[in-house]
Amino acid sequence: MTDNSSTEEMIRLLREISGKLDRILIQGSADNESDDGILDVLDVMTLLTLPDHLRTTATALFELGSATADELAERTNKERAVESNYLNQLVRMGHVAKNRKGRKVYFSIGEGLGK
Amino acid sequence: MALTIAIHSYKGGSGKTSFAINLASAYASVGKSVCLLDVDLKAPSSFNYLLPEAKHWVNDIFEGRYGVMDVVKDVSKEMGTKGAFYVGYSNPDIVAVRGISSKDRKWQSKALKLLMTAKRDLSNAGIDIVILDTGAGVDFTSVNAIAVADYVISVGRPGASRQRLMEQVIGGVYMPLDKDCYIIENMCHNDNPTDLSGKKFDLPVLASIPCMCDVAVRCDNEVLVLTEPDHAFSKKIYDIMESLDKITS
Ligand SMILES: Nc1ncnc2c1ncn2[C@@H]1O[C@H](COP(=O)(O)OP(=O)(O)O)[C@@H](O)[C@H]1O
Ligand SMILES: [Mg+2]
Repeated sequence: MTDNSSTEEMIRLLREISGKLDRILIQGSADNESDDGILDVLDVMTLLTLPDHLRTTATALFELGSATADELAERTNKERAVESNYLNQLVRMGHVAKNRKGRKVYFSIGEGLGK
Repeated sequence: MALTIAIHSYKGGSGKTSFAINLASAYASVGKSVCLLDVDLKAPSSFNYLLPEAKHWVNDIFEGRYGVMDVVKDVSKEMGTKGAFYVGYSNPDIVAVRGISSKDRKWQSKALKLLMTAKRDLSNAGIDIVILDTGAGVDFTSVNAIAVADYVISVGRPGASRQRLMEQVIGGVYMPLDKDCYIIENMCHNDNPTDLSGKKFDLPVLASIPCMCDVAVRCDNEVLVLTEPDHAFSKKIYDIMESLDKITS
């Protein structure tokens, strides 16, 4: 009798622990996602949340595929220095990748950090 | 660059697909080179069954498996249009449809890049007009297409509640993406006055298309602008095409 009820109690406790572990695991994997930089991927919904000036720059970069600050400034009708500043801001946010080819620096929409 | 028009709506069943097929056919019938892409990957359109089959799917473009020119099929012979009429279908297979919901943001970002590339490829291939038949509402499949488009045509059924919801999409998606937008009121009834004119955003209403029972039946089996150019629905589509020509020229 007592044996039975203590076994039941043990099973109940084990179930409770198992449930808690599941929740911790799920939370853990969600945290991991941001650690891996998945949040840095520039998808269109993220694009919509950017301030106007950065969104214009990023949209033009999506359209051009890959471009120098000069090419982008031509597209957006802004000063090269201004555009270059915006691009580097997007690079720091992890949205844009920067690559040097010879003497030129090319920007392109990044693949996100990590993974 | 090919003129790219996204056909969108806040809610489903407003007539986007019927409008997209007929507008594309109207352009092709007057000799324009047209490409119609079904980008509604979550609810592939019935024009899979209406137009001749193709070897690959629009899904293959987004997966990076094939370029757009390998995916689209010229159906101008079968449809009897003067201009080239390329179509690309999205895969109606349930495994493909289910798969779209589990794509992550990284995939969606790449999908947008690939769609931009597709637009450039279509332009280079000499296509004049690209029409993107999008999914309803705000999700990646529709907003990616809107981002790629030069113009957005929002097809809506009349109604005050719809207008309020539409304002959200106009202010929160179309405007931030810097799109030229026009509204088509579809399935209008005479006793229901035009009320989608979007006072706040002042978006122009390009046309109001009445609700016609025979359109509901026939659109599933034929392309009205081609089979019956004098039909009231077809005439509306040709009028819209002319208005668009004026706007975009
Ligand atoms: N003007 C109209 N009058 C009557 N029925 C229409 C009209 N326009 C479209 N339909 C019908 O409405 C239904 C939904 O249209 P569809 O083009 O599939 O909408 P969506 O692509 O927005 O979901 C179809 O059966 C279509 O034939
Ligand atoms: Mg549809």
